[in-house]
Amino acid sequence: MQRQQVQPPGEAGVIILGGGVIGLSLALALAEAGLRPLLIEARSFGGAVTAGSLAGIGVHMHGMAEFHLMTEACRLWRDLAAKVGNPFEYNPQGQIGFILDQEGMESGEAWVAEESALGAPCRLLTPAQLREIEPGLTGPVLGATWAPDSATVNPFFAARTLLRLAREAGALAFEHCPAAALLSQGGRITGVRLANGQEIRADHTILAAGPWSQEIAAPAGVMVPLRPRQAQCLVGLRQPPGTIRHVVSAVERRGGVDAGYTQIQQSVNGQILFNTVITPVDSGAAGRDRINEVPASFVTSSIDMLVRLFPALADLVLLRSWVRFEAVSPDARFMAGRLAPEGLWICAGDNGSGYCRALMLGRYLAGEISGNSRAGLAPDLVAQARALYAPARFSQQAA
Amino acid sequence: MSEPQTHFRTDEGAVAQILDCDIAIVGAGPAGLAAGEAAAGTGARVILLDTFAAPGGQYSMQPTQGDSPFTDTPAVRLAREATARLAARGVQILTRAEVFHAAKRQDGSFRLAVSQQGAARVIRAGAVIAATGAMERPLPFPGWTLPGVIGAGAAQRLLKTGTGSLGPQGKTVLAGSGPFLFAVAQTFAKAGAPLDHLVEMRRPGVREALGLFLAHPSRLPEALRLMADLKASRARRHSGHMVTRALGTTCLEAVEIAPLGPDGQPGMAAARVLDGVGTLAIGYGFQPVVDLTTQLGADHGHDPALGGFYCQTGADGGTSLAGLYAAGETCGLGGANPARLSGRIAGLSAARGLGFAAAPDETAIKALRRARDFAARLAALWPAPQRLPLSLPPDELICRCEDVRVTDIRAAIQDGAREAMAVKLWTRAGMGPCQGRICGAGLSAVLEEAGVTAIAAGYNRAHLPLRPTPIGIVRAAMASGEWDI
Ligand SMILES: Cc1cc2nc3c(=O)[nH]c(=O)nc-3n(C[C@H](O)[C@H](O)[C@H](O)COP(=O)(O)OP(=O)(O)OC[C@H]3O[C@@H](n4cnc5c(N)ncnc54)[C@H](O)[C@@H]3O)c2cc1C
Ligand SMILES: Cc1cc2nc3c(=O)[nH]c(=O)nc-3n(C[C@H](O)[C@H](O)[C@H](O)COP(=O)(O)OP(=O)(O)OC[C@H]3O[C@@H](n4cnc5c(N)ncnc54)[C@H](O)[C@@H]3O)c2cc1C
Repeated sequence: MQRQQVQPPGEAGVIILGGGVIGLSLALALAEAGLRPLLIEARSFGGAVTAGSLAGIGVHMHGMAEFHLMTEACRLWRDLAAKVGNPFEYNPQGQIGFILDQEGMESGEAWVAEESALGAPCRLLTPAQLREIEPGLTGPVLGATWAPDSATVNPFFAARTLLRLAREAGALAFEHCPAAALLSQGGRITGVRLANGQEIRADHTILAAGPWSQEIAAPAGVMVPLRPRQAQCLVGLRQPPGTIRHVVSAVERRGGVDAGYTQIQQSVNGQILFNTVITPVDSGAAGRDRINEVPASFVTSSIDMLVRLFPALADLVLLRSWVRFEAVSPDARFMAGRLAPEGLWICAGDNGSGYCRALMLGRYLAGEISGNSRAGLAPDLVAQARALYAPARFSQQAA
Repeated sequence: MSEPQTHFRTDEGAVAQILDCDIAIVGAGPAGLAAGEAAAGTGARVILLDTFAAPGGQYSMQPTQGDSPFTDTPAVRLAREATARLAARGVQILTRAEVFHAAKRQDGSFRLAVSQQGAARVIRAGAVIAATGAMERPLPFPGWTLPGVIGAGAAQRLLKTGTGSLGPQGKTVLAGSGPFLFAVAQTFAKAGAPLDHLVEMRRPGVREALGLFLAHPSRLPEALRLMADLKASRARRHSGHMVTRALGTTCLEAVEIAPLGPDGQPGMAAARVLDGVGTLAIGYGFQPVVDLTTQLGADHGHDPALGGFYCQTGADGGTSLAGLYAAGETCGLGGANPARLSGRIAGLSAARGLGFAAAPDETAIKALRRARDFAARLAALWPAPQRLPLSLPPDELICRCEDVRVTDIRAAIQDGAREAMAVKLWTRAGMGPCQGRICGAGLSAVLEEAGVTAIAAGYNRAHLPLRPTPIGIVRAAMASGEWDI
C-alpha cells in the first residue's frame, strides 16, 4: 500500500466531498478511470448513514424504471466480491417479501409479475413454500414474494474495502478533514476550502455528502432540494446461525418507503437486525447533527413485527439501537450528474437505498466526468441514468 | 400498513408501571445514598434505584450470607444505616432495578425506563441524579483471557458478597497498579482467603507518602490499617513489577512477572515465573460509568487521573443539561469520601432546582474540595497506565465478544480508522454483548500506541438500551406513552 500523505495536495483533477459508500464508490471508479481523485471526509470514512445501513443489495421492489440500472448495480457488487475474495461478507441469501393482508397480496403479485416479465427470477410463495425457505417465520402470513438473487454486504467492511481499492488505484483520501465551502470564480466552481483554511483547486468537484450536501452547496448559491430523513434500526443479541435465513421485508406498497416498511435480517455474526417503520419521522435539518434516540413508536412497532413474524424470538435481548440520516429528494430518486455551475457535480439523495446503487452510480459518474466510456456504464444504461438521475430535473420544476 | 397485533408469549399487552417522583437517583452507592438523604430531607419525593440486590454500591457492597465476615464492617454498616434512614423518610428504594433508557422531555422533566426482575417500570422525575459509580478498566496483556484471570474488582466482589469462590486450586496473585490493590488485599485478609503474591507496578517512596499525609493527616489511620492488613496477609510483595504473561493451556497455571526499568518497560531479562497459580486478580484501575449521562447528552471531559471520560459538573453537581446532576465516581474516580460529599451536594441542588427549600451546604462543598485533592494526590502517586504496559503479540484477543485481535485493530488504524467509533465499525470490537465495556480501554490503548490520543479517539455515546434488555421489557416501557417528547 502507498504511504498516506499527511495533508491533501493543493490541486486535484476531481475532488469528492463526503466519504460514505457513495463517495468511496466514486473514488474507486474515478481512480480506475485514471483520474487520481481526491476524497475528503469530515469525520471517519463510512461512519454516517453508511455505518447504519442494513446494506441490502437487490432489485426486488425498487420499481420498474430503474430495473436495468439496479440489475447492473447488483452485478457490480457480486463481481467485486468475486474479484477481491469477498472481504465484505457479500451474501446472496435471497429476500422474502412477507404478505399479511389482501392489499399486500395484490402488491406482491404486481411486483412479481412486472419483475419476472423483465427476466428477474422472483416468484410468489405459498405459506407452505415459505415455511420451507424460512422455517422460523411462523407468523400469520398469507404468502410471500421471493427474490432468490437479493444479497447483503457487511456495510463496514464494504466501505473499508472500497477505500483500500480506491487508494490502490491511485485515489488520495483524507478523513477528519471537513470541507467548509466551495470556491468559485466567474460562475465556475473551482475547488473547495477546507475547515482548516486550506484551499484545493479542482477541475471537478462532486458533492457526495448525503444530507449535508445541501449545506455545502448553499453558500455558493446552489440549491440542492434534499431533506434529511431519520432512519433507525434495532439489534438483538447473537442467535444460532440460520435463525433468520434471508432478508425479510414487508412487501412494499406502491407509495414507497414513506408508506412504511420492515426489514429483518441476521448478520453474519448472528445478531438480529430489525426495523419496522409505520410512519417515517421527518426531522428538521438540525436533526442531522444531533445523535437522536430511536422514537418509542418505532421501537414498539419493530418489536411487534419481529415477534409477530418470528414468535420464537419473543425473548430476544435487545443490544443496541441507532439513528442515522438519509437524504431524500422530491421524487425519491438520486441526484447524480452536473449541477448548474460549471465544474460542480452531485451524487446524493439516497432515499434509503444508496448502498445498493453505490457502485453503479460511481461508474456512471466516472464515465460522465472522465469522458472515458470504458470507465462508465454501457451506453443504454448511461442514457437511462441521465434520464432518471439528472439533477436538472428539479431546477426545471422550480423555474 | 395494517395494524400490527402483538403476540407476546412472555408479556401480552404488558405496559410498564409508572412511578412518580421529584428526584430519581440512579445508583445507591455512597453517592446515591447521600444524595437521597439530602434530597428527601428537603421534602422532595425521591426514588433511589440500583442494579444490585441491596443498596451500598461498590464501597459498601452488602454480603448475601448472614454469617459473612463482612456483615458488620464499617462500610457495610454505613449503607445499612443510611438505607434505614432513607426508608424512614419515605424514599422509595428499588433494588435489582436497572435503568436501560432515559430521556429529557421538552417540559424539562425526565423519564427513566427500568428493568426490574422481569418487569418494566417507567419513572417520571423532575430531576435526575446520576450516581452510577465506576467500573473496572481491564487492560489486555498476553494470556488475559485464560480462565483463572479475573479483575481485581470482580475478585473483591466475590469475596465481599460471598456469591462465588476464587479458583479452588493453586496460589493467588493480586497484581496491577494503584492503592485499590491494598483494599482488595484487605478484603482477602478479612475473608480469610489466602493471598500469596502482590505484584505492584509502583510503590511510592517514603517521601512521597509523607507529603500526602502531611497534607491530609486525617487519612493516615486508614492507610496504616490497610498496610497492616496487607502485612497480615503474608503476601509476597513484588514492587516495581508487572505481570507480563498469564500462562496455561486451558486455564491459568502460572504467571510471569518482570521488573520495570526506568523507561517504564518490563526488563524481560529479569523476568521470572510464579508457578502453581490458580487465580490472578489483576487491576489497572477504574473508569467512570457514564452511559446514562452520555445518553442524555451531558458534556464529558477526559482526564487520566479521573479514570478517563467523566461527566462534567459545576460546584453544585449540575451537569451541562438542566435538571441532570451527577455525583460520585460518575464525575471521576475519587473513592467513597468525595462520593458521599458530592452526593449530598447534588441532592440538595436538585431539590433546590425544583423549588424545595435547601440551602447549599458550604461545609460539604469545602470538604469535597479537600477530598478531591486527596484523591488527585493519590492518583498522581499511582498514575494509571494509558498505553498497553507492554507490546502485545499480534494474535492477542482485545474484544472477547467478537473475537477481535490486536492485529485486526492495528490494521484498521493503518487503513484510516482514527477514532474509537471507526475502529469499532471496521473490526466489530465493542459490538458484542459488552458493548465496549470490557474492550474499550484496550482499544483506546492500541489507538494511543498509534498516536491517537484518548480525546481524539472519543467515547461511544450510549443509546437505548444502556444495558442488554429483553425486548418484552423494552416494549412494555416504550409503549407507556411517556416518551412522546
Ligand atoms: C437502518 C438503515 C437501513 C438501510 N438499509 C439499506 C439497504 O438495505 N440497502 C441499501 O441500499 N441502502 C440501505 N440504507 C441506506 C444506505 O445506507 C444509504 O443510502 C447510503 O449509505 C448513503 O451513502 P452516502 O455516502 O450518500 O451517505 P453518508 O454515509 O451519509 O456519507 C456522507 C458523508 O459525507 C460526510 N460529510 C458531511 N459533511 C461534509 C463536509 N463538509 N466535508 C466532507 N465530508 C462531509 C459525512 O461525514 C458522511 O461520511 C439503509 C440505511 C439505514 C439507516
Ligand atoms: C469493582 C470496584 C471495587 C471497589 N472497591 C472499593 C473498596 O474496596 N474500597 C473503596 O474505598 N473503594 C472501592 N471502590 C471505589 C468505589 O467506587 C468508591 O469508593 C465508591 O463506591 C464510589 O461511590 P459511588 O456512589 O460513586 O459509586 P458506586 O459505589 O459504584 O455505586 C454506583 C451504583 O450505581 C449502580 N448503577 C450504575 N448504573 C446503573 C443503572 N443504569 N441502573 C441502576 N443502577 C445503576 C451500581 O449498581 C452501583 O451500585 C471500588 C470500585 C469498583 C469499581
